[in-house]
Amino acid sequence: MLLEIKDIHVHYGKIAALKGVSMEVPEDGIVTIIGANGAGKSTTLRAISGLSKISAGEIWFDGERIDALPPEKIVACGIAQVPEGRRVFPDLSVEENLRTGAFLRNDRVEIDHSLEQVFTRFPRLKERRSQWAKTLSGGEQQMVAIGRALMSKPRLLLLDEPSMGLAPVIIQEIVRILEDIVADGVPVVLVEQNAELALSLARYAYVLETGSVSLAGIAEDLHENDHVKKAYLGG
Amino acid sequence: MSELILQTIVNSIYAASYMSLIAVGLVLIFGVMGVINFAHGELYMAGAYTVVALYSGLNLPFFVAVVVGMVFVGLLGLVMEYAFFRALRDNPLGGLIASIGFLLILQTVAVLGFGVRMAHIRPSTQEKIELFDGVLLTHQRLYVIVAAILLLTALYIFLRKTKFGWAMRACAQDTEAAALQGISLNQITRIAMFIGAGLAGVVGALTAPLVSPTPYMGHSIIVTAFIIIVVGGIGQLEGAVVAAILYAFVHTFVTTFFDGVVADMVGLVLMLLVLVVKPTGLFGANDRV
Repeated sequence: MLLEIKDIHVHYGKIAALKGVSMEVPEDGIVTIIGANGAGKSTTLRAISGLSKISAGEIWFDGERIDALPPEKIVACGIAQVPEGRRVFPDLSVEENLRTGAFLRNDRVEIDHSLEQVFTRFPRLKERRSQWAKTLSGGEQQMVAIGRALMSKPRLLLLDEPSMGLAPVIIQEIVRILEDIVADGVPVVLVEQNAELALSLARYAYVLETGSVSLAGIAEDLHENDHVKKAYLGG
Repeated sequence: MSELILQTIVNSIYAASYMSLIAVGLVLIFGVMGVINFAHGELYMAGAYTVVALYSGLNLPFFVAVVVGMVFVGLLGLVMEYAFFRALRDNPLGGLIASIGFLLILQTVAVLGFGVRMAHIRPSTQEKIELFDGVLLTHQRLYVIVAAILLLTALYIFLRKTKFGWAMRACAQDTEAAALQGISLNQITRIAMFIGAGLAGVVGALTAPLVSPTPYMGHSIIVTAFIIIVVGGIGQLEGAVVAAILYAFVHTFVTTFFDGVVADMVGLVLMLLVLVVKPTGLFGANDRV
């Protein structure tokens, strides 16, 4: 397993956001985490990236324990996150946003090469490379956020609600890009409210309910599960 | 009359130069750390006293003293970051109170070391340029103008063209998203604090022969700097420069044609007007503080 989460707990003040969550992410393919608002999906990703400190449990990445590391060290290990709400830097240009993703890399030529790769993946960003990120549409900002994460050459990509607030046609484009990234050999952990979409893309799925894993398994199986159908797929 | 106006314009350019360097340092520190550094005026004072000690006291060359002053005050900034601001991150009020404490420490050290009286420093040069008939610019003032142009240009290039510059702007805009790019907030705040404090130090050092330093000289400059960053839009570097130029011209002209007290009042009224018309400042975005 590339990533192993063992019985982690996260508290926000006195409130327990995660109450013993365990997960495994293999070397390839998409693992999705679905669940209602406030179930702890984003908190799980925040814990992996070191933004939320865990109060108990362990997180292992490629044989190394990472749960005590600060966020920048976790990026250095090879885990990149596209956070909820995209969080592009509004007053940085598109190119500057992308280049901050390569902050920990020092190979100039290689960075330029990665930038060209991102522009090949997202031709629209190349046209807008010197525009402020805040002037882009929501879909374009999502592309910047994904491109920025790819600039670190991640070995694991965490995506938090990439479809949020986007038109269906843009979502299709993001999905296509996501499949491309996975085909290139980068495994993805996908957090999604849109369970239908998430289960159709992923190989494995975890269902989070009030801070605990209530169901886990092969995505196709969960798609046929009565409880999942009722609670997340609209009957 | 036209001579007086031209001379006042030259004086305004000089004032804009040192004010913008002070304000930009304050904005840089605020942008990355979210802390209003009340001790910024005392960092400027520390720069001035470095020149008192090294140039007046030890007879070292003026520019050596200025460079030492910039680096020394930059290091003072690192001390502040390490001793106070890092522990008080996510606590802007705590940072502000700690910076007031540091201000008092610096003042006291200056009093102990140099006494409360004005330190008169011999000018490093008596040279002056006659720009127009009867319109003079002393070299001592020219140094400040040149330093402002060079340092602000260098800062602009740093922020726009280097990865640490992007990282600094990224931290100022979204600290958490910056951490997700592998940017270490501690490292960036150290750089911001060193640059911001160093800019205050170099202004104090360069203007020391012009203003006769006292341990309390930081008060008036910090009030001016606050007015400027509020007018420019808190956290806005370009805004700080534009507001510094605006304030310098208004203040210098009113001082020349009325008097200094009226000029201070006009400066405050200017700030109030901006706050009423555009509360986020001239360059402030409406949705961000």
